[in-house]
Amino acid sequence: MALLQISDPGARPTPIGIDLGTTNSLVAYVPLVGAPTTVRDCDNEALVPSVVSYKDDGSVIVGRAAKALAIERPRDTISSIKRMMGRGADDPETQRLAPYRFATREGAVVKIAVAGDRVVTPIEVSAEILRELYQLAEDALGSVGGAVITVPAYFDDAQRQATRDAGRLAGLEVLRLLNEPTAAALAYGLDSKQNGTFAVYDLGGGTFDVTILQLDDGVFQVRSTGGDSQLGGDDMDRTLAEQMIASLTDEASKTDPSTVRALMDGARALKHALTDSEAVEYEIELPRGGVLEARVTRDDFDELVRPLLDRTGIACRRALRDAGLTTTDLDGVILVGGSTRVPYVRKYVAKLFGKEPLDSIDPDQVVALGAAIQADLLAGSSHNEQVLLLDVLPLSLGIEAMGGVVEKILPRNTPIPAAAAQVFTTYAENQTGFELHVVQGERETAEACRSLARFQLRGIPPMPAGLARLEVRFEVDADGLLHVSAKELTTGISQVVEVKPSYGLSDEEVERMLLDAYDHAETDVTVRALIEQRVEAERIIVATRLALDQDAALIDEAERAEIEAKLASVIEATRGENHHVIASRIEELDHVSRNFAGLRMDRSIKKALAGQRLSDVERDTAHAEGIDRHLGPQKDDSE
Amino acid sequence: MDPFATLGLPREYALDSEALERRYRDLQRALHPDKHVNATPTERRVALGKAVEVNEAYRVLKDDVRRAESLLALLGYVAKGEVADPELLMEVMELREALSEAKQVKSLPRVHKLASQVQALAATTRRELAAKLAELPADATIDVLGVPAALLSQLKYYKRFLDEVNVIEDDAPTWTKAD
Repeated sequence: MALLQISDPGARPTPIGIDLGTTNSLVAYVPLVGAPTTVRDCDNEALVPSVVSYKDDGSVIVGRAAKALAIERPRDTISSIKRMMGRGADDPETQRLAPYRFATREGAVVKIAVAGDRVVTPIEVSAEILRELYQLAEDALGSVGGAVITVPAYFDDAQRQATRDAGRLAGLEVLRLLNEPTAAALAYGLDSKQNGTFAVYDLGGGTFDVTILQLDDGVFQVRSTGGDSQLGGDDMDRTLAEQMIASLTDEASKTDPSTVRALMDGARALKHALTDSEAVEYEIELPRGGVLEARVTRDDFDELVRPLLDRTGIACRRALRDAGLTTTDLDGVILVGGSTRVPYVRKYVAKLFGKEPLDSIDPDQVVALGAAIQADLLAGSSHNEQVLLLDVLPLSLGIEAMGGVVEKILPRNTPIPAAAAQVFTTYAENQTGFELHVVQGERETAEACRSLARFQLRGIPPMPAGLARLEVRFEVDADGLLHVSAKELTTGISQVVEVKPSYGLSDEEVERMLLDAYDHAETDVTVRALIEQRVEAERIIVATRLALDQDAALIDEAERAEIEAKLASVIEATRGENHHVIASRIEELDHVSRNFAGLRMDRSIKKALAGQRLSDVERDTAHAEGIDRHLGPQKDDSE
Repeated sequence: MDPFATLGLPREYALDSEALERRYRDLQRALHPDKHVNATPTERRVALGKAVEVNEAYRVLKDDVRRAESLLALLGYVAKGEVADPELLMEVMELREALSEAKQVKSLPRVHKLASQVQALAATTRRELAAKLAELPADATIDVLGVPAALLSQLKYYKRFLDEVNVIEDDAPTWTKAD
């Protein structure tokens, strides 16, 4: 019955935008009429705390209810999981002040033991949060379409992959991973309809991003981006909590998980209180008995967090330099993220950029609202047809060369989608395999960069050393995700690329998790595959018909007949029950319509270039009109 | 690949950066994957390939060194492992030594002084290069290309030096505090 719903045009599923935050998460959508809006729960709250609590009976609690369990069950209640996404278990950062039971201290993936005899990865924990948001949206909207999930602009490939996998695991159709500052700019830009160059300063719970972007008639072009994916409001709380912990007299309390948790929560509450007061006296009840009493002034707090803000300052200056701009070139600064509520952060930003920052949209909601707009655009239902986001690669991609030195393949701030190819040769007689180490980061040695993956290239035909010419192609898609393919140039044979991610899970591991999520039911998986394949076929049928209606003139009768025939065979296959047949018919249609697609694209390129000349004319005319106005004061007077 | 043709701009070193930006945006409006979400997989793939090509061409033309390189290559210039001018090598070596000294004693003012010195040298070289490239005849032969090619390699030395300055500047906040 679900199939009928899908083909019913009346029940259009609503695309959603999700801000998967370190501290809080939100989901938003664009209604048929009106401005984008966040989905609220039964208590009229839009913010869902990014906290997941695992109970002994195996059940899972997400959000406010989970947060309430944090002190009572510190080891089974996971918060700030975003900081561990795509990171290794051996990363010291992941274990700092986290009271969890890490199942392993080494290896590629963080594994946490929780109640109910379970071991969970950050991807699974994040998927629980996403599932909760999905449910919230479904309750409010009836039917949910695809989702745009936001990520910090400074997230590397492993962190992006992990986020995408979490989305899939939660059963979402992930339309796009969107950078948080770009999402915020989208929400502001469409709100104000202003053109110019802006800096987006995004200090969230656990990540910091700065993005310099230019807004020009609906095109949001990112010029540069920078940041720190391990810096945020959490660190302010930690710094304050560390100070409190140091002041404890009871040595055993200093390492007690409940105490640490209580002081972290206390520190956060103090930070919030200091937003409106100059000084706060506090009393925190300690779980192991006793009370911690003290007083903290705003000046003390500012002093404590200054080193953290100085780190954001370095990233901001570098982003400006990368964009080839100075602060005077900026038309405005946009504040994003809950941590920008801290008065000292505002002061710091105003001083750094030399202008008062913009904050007319709630800094907690702006990212989710922007994501909803992008989801709406991608679903093709939007009225904002002129809007386009052009983003960049946040961190340089490179490969490890001889001696552990990094050879950069795509430098940071390269506009995406992007591709680069590199030719390698064999160094041994009859060598049939090759290993490549791909890294991401700005440092000169592979060791100091983030290791993304090792690629095994196999199946090179045996040849004398140095004769095989292996072209490896690196492609970064619009999500900022890396794909690698390889080809042996002398024979033209495509090589098998085996990806071993250095961090995160392999595709097979994610597939297995997905299977587990479907209760091991093989039939469910087949049914799902059939539904997905039919939806895909439906889309292709509509698109191909539209293309033929518009542009049949580009091809001759024979070519058209061939496409029509393959189109008919796809339609026929959708009436069957075999998703493999549908897939292979789609493949055949794809094969015969390649030339047609190429011709259509060439024509739009010509149109784009010609349209340019047209807008040159418009610009000149507008300029002339401006002069006319100056020349004709009588006309102005008569108005 | 001819980045000038990809973006529909005249094949010359002087760049109308406003025209470049506008062409770039108009082409991406037609080609970006976001504009083809509902197209057939074939069209999506073709559009993606073209969008990547436009991005690459844009990146080449925006960068003065890469633009000159591409122009020389399109005119038929092939580097034959020419040895750089010994005087230039000497000059760059001395500058680099001064830079690493400034870094060692953690003197940001000295780093900045060296940077502005090299920026001035780069600017002069860039002007000369632009002039040489502008006066090239359409049927330029390889031997005429040698002069701009030498200026280009000189400019690259300066650029690399300035890249190093950037890295030092990024690190500076950590070392000034350590002292």
